[in-house]
Amino acid sequence: MTDILIVLLGTTMLYVSAVSRIEAYVKTLAFQGLILFLLVVLGIKEINWLNLAFLIFETLVIKAVVIPYFLLTVIRKNEIGREIEPYISQFYSLLIASGIFIFGFVAAFWSAGTGSGIKPLYFGISIMMIIISLFLIVNRKRIITHILCYMMLENGIFLLSLSVANELPMLVNIGVLLDLFVGIYLFAIFFNKINEIYDGSHVDVLTELKD
Amino acid sequence: MISLVIILPPILGLVSLAAKNRFVNRVALLGSASLLLVVAFVQWLGIEWFWLPDWLLQYFRFDSIGLYFFAVMSLVFAGVSVYSLFYFKEHHLTASQESVYVVEILFFVTAMSGVVLATHLALMWVFVEGTTLTSALLIYFEKRKSSLEATWKYVYICSIGIALAFVGIVLLSIGSESIGSLFFSNLYQHASEINPFWLEISFAFIFVGFGTKIGIAPLHAWLPDAHSEAPSPVSALLSGTLLNSAFLGLLRVQEIFICAHQQSFSDFILISTGFLSLLVSSVFMIRVKNYKRMLAYSSIENMGIIFIGVGLGKLGVFAAMLHTFAHSLSKMALFLTSGNILYHYESKKIEDVRGLLKRDPVTGWIWIVSALSIIGIPPFPIFISKFFIVKAFWLTGQSWLAVLFFLFLIIVTFGMSRAVFNMAFGESQLEGKWKPKPNVSAYAPQIVLLIVLLMIGTSMPSQLFDLINKAAGFFSAGSPQTQLIRLGTAVMAGQHLGAIH
Repeated sequence: MTDILIVLLGTTMLYVSAVSRIEAYVKTLAFQGLILFLLVVLGIKEINWLNLAFLIFETLVIKAVVIPYFLLTVIRKNEIGREIEPYISQFYSLLIASGIFIFGFVAAFWSAGTGSGIKPLYFGISIMMIIISLFLIVNRKRIITHILCYMMLENGIFLLSLSVANELPMLVNIGVLLDLFVGIYLFAIFFNKINEIYDGSHVDVLTELKD
Repeated sequence: MISLVIILPPILGLVSLAAKNRFVNRVALLGSASLLLVVAFVQWLGIEWFWLPDWLLQYFRFDSIGLYFFAVMSLVFAGVSVYSLFYFKEHHLTASQESVYVVEILFFVTAMSGVVLATHLALMWVFVEGTTLTSALLIYFEKRKSSLEATWKYVYICSIGIALAFVGIVLLSIGSESIGSLFFSNLYQHASEINPFWLEISFAFIFVGFGTKIGIAPLHAWLPDAHSEAPSPVSALLSGTLLNSAFLGLLRVQEIFICAHQQSFSDFILISTGFLSLLVSSVFMIRVKNYKRMLAYSSIENMGIIFIGVGLGKLGVFAAMLHTFAHSLSKMALFLTSGNILYHYESKKIEDVRGLLKRDPVTGWIWIVSALSIIGIPPFPIFISKFFIVKAFWLTGQSWLAVLFFLFLIIVTFGMSRAVFNMAFGESQLEGKWKPKPNVSAYAPQIVLLIVLLMIGTSMPSQLFDLINKAAGFFSAGSPQTQLIRLGTAVMAGQHLGAIH
């Protein structure tokens, strides 16, 4: 069951590398949050209520609902429909993303053979999510897409941390979540400002400062 | 003690945000600055005084290197907060704008204290990310179009970088599974049990993450923009303390390598990126047209020098520690003075600023003297630290690298002194509209800290030498000597340290 969910999580990254409607990204983001929530619930071995409650809060409330909803309001307010023509076309970026997807499975097979106590599929797919997110950030032009891909990168990192047996202390988990939340909030503030001040909200307008 | 540093400044910030009163703002800002200084001093004297509950206490601790970086930070912050009074006045800030500034700067400083004091790798990461988030609004404080661009680049590039550092931390926890904890003390103790493969791959990620915050080439893209667009006191704080605190994070990870006897890998990365930073800064130093950007490139150069020092080990580590201190103080003086220049000329272009010495002699002389300090003219301590780094090249048998080192330094010195002297001398084009001279808070911090630097350069007090030596001694491979030695002059210092080797 968890394996199917993880592969599904991986395929969402293929989906976002092919679509250009910004709202589709947000929906994918919420869907990823939901899968991460299911993975957390299915992965429980021992019940530590405080930890479990925190993880459910993090995935279900923050990652699946609050942040996507927040970003959706930002998008609707600024009336952004589609991604503008990316540097590499949708077709080729899907092709490249598929290549990275295959690499993710290779990484999973490889990590199963290293003898360290990681969960191979978690590891491979999370590495793949991180690389595809970075690729999309480089390839896409709209600043809002950058913010959304940053969230996907964070989801990838969250999956990676699920692949490890060691748990981080509660204080650290809270700090990580707080940073993420404040980060997204700040991103949205600056995004709104850029939309107000510049004509257009893609990275090509930000070229005033240089030597 | 620690609880004071972590808890009190943000509370004072929130109080000033709520009060929106000029007097409360000043009390909060200067009060926090003096609090940090007092804590640094009391810790230096070795007085332990804990308020925190035990479960929280294990996460924060003053160790030798943390105390050193904390002391540097509190000195720079004290200077910056005094200068901020002039900044408030010059920009005619309302009480509520002032309180926004104060609360942001206090949260920023608290995040940096957290980085310096954290004993857990992932907790330190949380605070490093915290420094990005808290300083972003400060960089955008003047709300210009260009500062928005700089802020976006800063906050986005650093967030991505720091996210990759977290990947590195997770990978390290895969490799250190048998240890089962990411407390630095446990990692150092059981470093040899960490799988070398995972250790090296995690270092690559952590290096990219913290290196982005440090602004080491080729990860420096945000640094000149953010430093030039931030208000001058904030630039001083960014350059004098933020880079250092991220650097301390990297040093703590480097120590894992030393404990695991893998440091040839990390040393190589440190030295090569250090030289790359020297290359980048020397290229841009020649052609840069904006004096605040010039100072930013100088920060990249100095972080490069510090990286090289740490990569060389032993004597190099001592030199790097001394360099950190001297760079922070001199760069703070330069950035604060650049605020005075901006006040007089209302332009950041080097070519617009002429005849500074005639217009405002005090600012002009501070500008020249602090530039001499950062270039490393004796008797300023940067001369000693560069001298030791060159010596460390010889001691490690890489004397040919010293030639390259000198070459880059000469280019940087040429570029920087050309700009500084052109600005200081000559005739101003903007005759007629002379502004009144700034008040004393625009001069005092630079003058006081430059005098401190000068005293350290000519005759280093043994207590300070001890502090730096202990900080260098944090590395198992670092400390050049254990006994206390009083340094006379720069030359004598060289002889002393040479004799011990």
